[in-house]
This record gives sequence, C-alpha cells and structure tokens, in this order.
Amino acid sequence: MEGIIAIWQRDIIKFFRDRPRMVGSFSMPILFLVVFGIGMGGSMESLVSAGTNAQNFNYTEFIFPGIVSMTLLMTSIFSSLSIIQDRDFGYMREILVSPVSRVNIAIGKMLGSASVALLQGVMMFVLLPVLGIGIDLVSFFQVLPVMFLMACAFSSLGLLVASLLNSMQGFQLVVNIFVMPMIFLSGALFPLNNMPGWVNFLVTLNPVTYGVDLMKHIMIDVESLNAAVREEMGLNLTFFGQPVTITGELFFLLGFTAVLILLATLSFRRANS
Amino acid sequence: MIELVGLTKKFKHNEAVKNLNMFIEKGEIVGLLGPNGAGKSTAISMMASLSEPTGGDVRFNNNSILKNPAPLRKVVGMVPQEIALYDDLTAEENMQFFGRIYRLRGQVLKRKIDEVLEQIGLSERRKQVVRKFSGGMKRRLNIGVAMLHDPELLIMDEPAVGIDPQSRNYILETVKRLNEERQMTVLYTSHYMEEVEYLCDRIYIMDQGNLIASGTKEEIKQILSAEKTISIKTNRLNDRFLSLLEESPTINQVVAGEKEVTITVPKEINMFPKLINLAEKVELELRSVEVKTPTLEDVFLHLTGRALRD
Amino acid sequence: MIEINNLTKRYKSFQAVNNSSFNVEKGEIFGFLGPNGAGKSTTINILSTMLQPTSGTVTINGYDVIKQQNQVRESIGIIFQQNTLDEKLTAKENLMLHCKFYGVPRASRKHRIDEVLEIVDLQESINTLVEKFSGGMQRRLEIARGLLHYPKVLFLDEPTVGLDPQTRAHVWEYILKLKEKENITMFLTTHYLDEAEISDRIAIMDQGEIIAIDTPKRLKQKIGGDIIEITTSDNEAAMKEIENNFNVVALSLKDDVIYCKVKNSDAFVSEFIKTLKTPLTGLDIRKPTLNDVFLSFTGREIRD
Repeated sequence: MEGIIAIWQRDIIKFFRDRPRMVGSFSMPILFLVVFGIGMGGSMESLVSAGTNAQNFNYTEFIFPGIVSMTLLMTSIFSSLSIIQDRDFGYMREILVSPVSRVNIAIGKMLGSASVALLQGVMMFVLLPVLGIGIDLVSFFQVLPVMFLMACAFSSLGLLVASLLNSMQGFQLVVNIFVMPMIFLSGALFPLNNMPGWVNFLVTLNPVTYGVDLMKHIMIDVESLNAAVREEMGLNLTFFGQPVTITGELFFLLGFTAVLILLATLSFRRANS
Repeated sequence: MIELVGLTKKFKHNEAVKNLNMFIEKGEIVGLLGPNGAGKSTAISMMASLSEPTGGDVRFNNNSILKNPAPLRKVVGMVPQEIALYDDLTAEENMQFFGRIYRLRGQVLKRKIDEVLEQIGLSERRKQVVRKFSGGMKRRLNIGVAMLHDPELLIMDEPAVGIDPQSRNYILETVKRLNEERQMTVLYTSHYMEEVEYLCDRIYIMDQGNLIASGTKEEIKQILSAEKTISIKTNRLNDRFLSLLEESPTINQVVAGEKEVTITVPKEINMFPKLINLAEKVELELRSVEVKTPTLEDVFLHLTGRALRD
Repeated sequence: MIEINNLTKRYKSFQAVNNSSFNVEKGEIFGFLGPNGAGKSTTINILSTMLQPTSGTVTINGYDVIKQQNQVRESIGIIFQQNTLDEKLTAKENLMLHCKFYGVPRASRKHRIDEVLEIVDLQESINTLVEKFSGGMQRRLEIARGLLHYPKVLFLDEPTVGLDPQTRAHVWEYILKLKEKENITMFLTTHYLDEAEISDRIAIMDQGEIIAIDTPKRLKQKIGGDIIEITTSDNEAAMKEIENNFNVVALSLKDDVIYCKVKNSDAFVSEFIKTLKTPLTGLDIRKPTLNDVFLSFTGREIRD
C-alpha cells in the first residue's frame, strides 16, 4: 500500500515542480478553445440559431467539457508513457528491485498519472470566468468523479501501451493512432451528426464519447435547451439505436475503466517479470 | 604545435580556467589531469575552438585561432567524454555521417571508413546498429569517428571510461600505435593514472582552474619526494644489521618490522651493493629487496589533496 | 550469505551462465570480475531477482531468489552501474521514496536518512535537486540510498566508474567503513582491478563459467610467480650464469635490465644473491598485480 502511495506521490511532486510542463500542457487546450470557441463559435452559433430559432445557445459552453476531456486524455497518456523514460533513465530499476509488487507499481503509476491529469483538468476551470461561462458548485463536484474515472481509464490505456512499446520512438505513433482520433471521433469539439455509417460505428465504440457526453450533461443545463438544439449539437446519443441514459454511460465508463486497469496491470506485470 | 598563452575563462560565478599556459609539440602524447571541477573540460573546449576564452590566446602553429580557427579545425579530432553516436544507425552509417561533416566523399570516405574500422577492431560489426553495441564497442566507435579525417591533433576526454580491461588495453594500444606510426599528436585526459602513465610523455595537472604541475612522468613523480623507500626481507632480523643500517650515512630512515625493514634513501643512490655487503657482514640472507617509488596517483593526490570536491 | 548452485541461464542463441556454483560468506567483500560478455551482468540480474535462471538455485540470506523474491529484495541493496536517481527530485525526496518502497518504519525514516547522508558526506545537500549534483555526488547519494533499508547484502556494480581519484578514494573508504561497522556482505564488480584488491575473495568469470575463485593473494601466486629486475656490472655474463645455474620460468634482457620470472621470489633471491658471481648492482622484485592475474586468466583478446 505504501508503495502505491510512494509512486503516486513521486508523480504529484514532479507535477508541481515542473512549471514549464504545466504551462506547456495548457497551450494545446487553449489553442483549441480559441480555434473552436472563438473561430468557429460565431458561425456555429448563427447556424444553430438560424436552424432552430434558439437564442440562448453558447457554443463555447458546448465545447468546454470536450476540451477538458481532451486535456485529461492527453495528460493521462503522456504521464503514463513517462514510465518509458523511467526505463531509459534507469529509475525503473530502483522501483523494480524493491519489494513493491508489480501490480502495486502499476496501480501507483496509474493513480499518479490520473491525479496529474485530474489536476490539469481542474485547472482548466480557472478559464471559465474568462470565457463567460458559469458553473454551480454542485455540478462542479458532480463532474469531478467523472473526470477522475476518465483519467483512470486513459492512464491505464497509456500504461498498457507503454508496457508494449520498447522506446519513445513509438510515442508519436500512439498519439497519431489513438489520441487524436479518439478526440475527433467523440463529439468533444464538434457535433457528429449525419456521419457515414462506419464513422458512426467508431464513435459509438469510443469511450471518450460517453465521458464527454456525461460531462456535458452535468455541466450544461441540457433540459433548458430547445429540443432542436439538443439534436443539432449531438446531445441525444444512441447506442445501436437505443437512446443512451446517464446511468448507462456511467456504468459503461466504470466497466471500461475496470477492464483497462486490469489489462494495464497484467501487461505491466508480464513485461517486467 | 599548439600553445595556450594565459588562457582564461570566466563564467558568471566562477573562474573555470585561470591564466593557463601549456604547449603540445608535434608527435607528443600529453596527459591532462585534475580532479572534478579542475577546469580540464573548459580548457579542452577552448583548445579545440569550441568555446571562446575570456582572456589569453590559443596559438596553433604560431597563429592565433581566435580570429581564424579554420586551420586548426581542419586537423583537430575531438573524442568527447559522452558517447556522441546515433543509436539507430549502424557503425558504418555513423562513420558516413561524421565523415561527411568533414567533407569526405565517395571512394575516399569509403577507404577511410574501412581503414578506421579496422584500426578500432570493428570491421566485422560494421553493419550492426550502435544500440546493440557493448560499452567498449561504443567507446571504440566514438574514437573512430574522430579519426576519419586523419587528424594531426587528437583531443581525448576520458575516452576509456567504464569499460572492461581488454577493451581499455585495446584503446590504449591503438592510441599509442597511431602516435608511433603516424606521428599523431594526442592530448589525453583521464581519472585513471595508469592510463596516463602508460601513454603520456608529458603531463599537466590542473586544480581549481590553475596549472599546479607539469613535466615528464619522471619529473612529476619526483615532485612528491626526492627519496625512495626500499623494503628488505631477510631470513631473520638481528640488531647488528639494524644498527649497521642506522649508522649508514646514506640512509635517512630505518623502520623495522617483524621480518621486514624499510629504509628511506635519496632517490639517486643505488643501495643494492651496499645492502649485500651489510647482509654478508652479519651473515643474514636477503630474501627480497623491493624498491617502492611513488605512483602517479600518489603524486596526484599529494598535489590536489584528498578532500572531496563537491 | 549467498549460495549459488549449478546456476545456468540459457538464451536462444547462447548460454550466458553455465552451471556455476559458488558461495559468498557473511561479512565478506566479494569481488566478481570478468571481461565483457562473461555473464557477470546476467548473474547479478539473477541474484537481484531481475531475471529468472534457466536452472539451478540461488539463495540469499537464506531466501530463494525465485520462490521468495520479496524477502530477497528486502535483504539486498543495489548500487547500479547506471544512475537510477530521479534527478527532478531532491536528495531527501529520493531517499524518502526509497524508505517507502522498502517499508522502513515511519518513525525511523528521518534518523536513517540523516545517518546515511552522513556516511557519504552529503548532509548539506539534503534539499538540493539531484540534477544540480555532480557525477560524484550522485554516486555517493546512490550509495547512501542503497543502505537506507539496512540490507544484509550490498551489490555494487562498478561503483566508481568515471569518478575522479578523490571521490573514488572516498567511495572505497565508505565501503570499508561499512564492512567494519555493519558487517554488510558486499558483492562487488569493477573493471579497475587495483580496486578489487580490497576484496576478501575474488571470482573471475569468463564465458559463463567461474574460472578462478580465491583470495587476491593466492590468485597472484597461482599465475606463476614474480618478476625480478636485475642489473649487474656484466649483464651478458649474468644472463649465462642464470640460464645455467638457476631454475627460472622466463628470462629476458631489455634496456640493460635483466627480467627474470620465477615461481617464488623469496626462495630465489636469497639463493641468487649468495651464488651469483657477477657483481650485482641492483635488484627489484615486481609482484604480479590483479591486472596480471585477470589478463592471464581471461587473455588479452578483446571480446567484441
């Protein structure tokens, strides 16, 4: 148990110490906020308003949860992949020869990455006043566990990939194959309506889709939106024809996270036995 | 060939090299020693025109390299302390890459690569990626890439660190051979005195930015002491032998052990005939006579002190 | 303290360790030497539970390295050849994490950290980031870290690589101090054979097999003798005399010095001085070094 805490703690200490990284990992989400929120916001809002006669629609409010999810995904995966660096620079050996079990090392690392991602994600909320978006305290505390669950899932995914990769060389590949498509095919940044069947299929299987949707339902007052806007913005998700409920999403996310943690732990143990 | 005149390098917080004077003649192997933080690496990088001094001059064949480093750069080869190779390239590809930097092309480059690979004993591994190499092989290749353009002056910064005795001997012998066969001039730094003792004609010792000793190996060793100690073992010790030793005017000090006696005499004196003589007088059998001269490491630690630097 | 029986490690294309057996006694400094690719690293990796042997058994501190990995890991400390500190953390943070990995009781952590830092003279740098440390300081910190959980056996894999003579001398002092004070068993590898002199016993491994194991002194005796450097007033006459009247292993003349290799210099010298007719002007005995021992057992040929 203490081993898990120690490995987790190492990531937390390093997170707060590494200011450049902290700032650096903000640059991408902010860029996306600017590009999508401001750049596309105007035209999206007028399009939606024209099509639905809705007046109270705020596009930035719509993509904010998506960009937070993106931050979670990126930070989790990159933090987990740092075990490859640990392996190259030697610190991994210090951990591996200690009595801490392989399973606890993997869990500690997963929790460390997830916590770092959560912290980074929460920091995004500082931008809310600047963006002119309000959020009440209840929604904030409701959205935290969802974010943490997502961070755990993504960190496990990162760990799984890291224990299969041999070097940082594969890093770019992982980002291109996993991270970017998972974000673009989740409805995080723009609604995914009227997509070709196979894209729709990928969207349906993408766990990020449900995490983002959950966050949107918590953070945006969906009920007050007019039905046409909801439809237009892709807030009425379906799972192979069945409408998706919040509870359903939560369970799907839980199950998905559990499976990933299990896979990551097993794969880490196998790679380092 | 190359001369440092009052060379100085000041950084914000410290003076790494202070008024350093040093020269290397063509065809010499010169050793540069010093504990951590002595300023060796700073001095070397100025000598190779990789960084600029804040004072003084580096003269190559009597011309300053500060205004015109080109003639020096053409003939200098640098073996850095860190291994500077591309892990994902093969030995041969690494050599091609570094060869092109020195503007070697086509057949000339190919011939040089073959030749150098042979010298560093890696001909058979030329197609293997460097990642798969052992530490010793990487070290050898690291030296090899600095030799492609037939440097007249090879600057080696701890080139044999952390490798097994076989590889280390091989590197030392290769350097010596290159020096003998092609008159290659070498500046060699190391923390291991045996290496320097084996290779170098002359030695400079630096500490805290200053030059604290220089000279041939023999001169440097004499710094420690003008005396040598001789330990004598006999079949048994008797008082008469000891008192004879003590009475002898040439012996400065006599320390008796159980079966062994250690005497200190001026360096230039040959005690041997006298010892035989004395032993015969008192009917003792000499079992062994060992002359202990100070090692380079003794001198080094004497000059630079035993205290930790950091 | 360490018992190794018929240890074998086979890879697909070659055999790294071949049916090796040896023991290391409690409180001993055990030098483990060998050229590149001899199987040293493989052996150390097996002993430190990082690698599974193909066959054979190893026990450390009475625990089996395969079946009782956790107990073995608690019993050993390792100073790796490669830096394994986290450079982005301070010295104290590195040590604190180690305490947690090894379950050092919370109450004694601070005391132990102070204690090990004192051994390696780093008390003043306790809150400094490791990346600000010099190579020598990092090495010392690693030694301190390896001692934190009071290991029974300390593995030192080339602990002085790349250090200056001052730091090297200090590292060996720490090691000897530990042996005396704590009676820790040390398993040591180094490529600098004069350093291996501090070992109580030395094993030389080559091509996966232990080819010699003994005290440094006896190993030196084994390789057959001392070199005696002789100068005389008439070297040629002396050479003839030696050839005819004495039993020497090898005899050569270089730069006016006669080099004479003999089995046992003590017996030879007393007889030699008495009977040689040519007047002697000098005689010096050079005993073999561990370097000579090593190269005589493993050959001078480079391995890769």
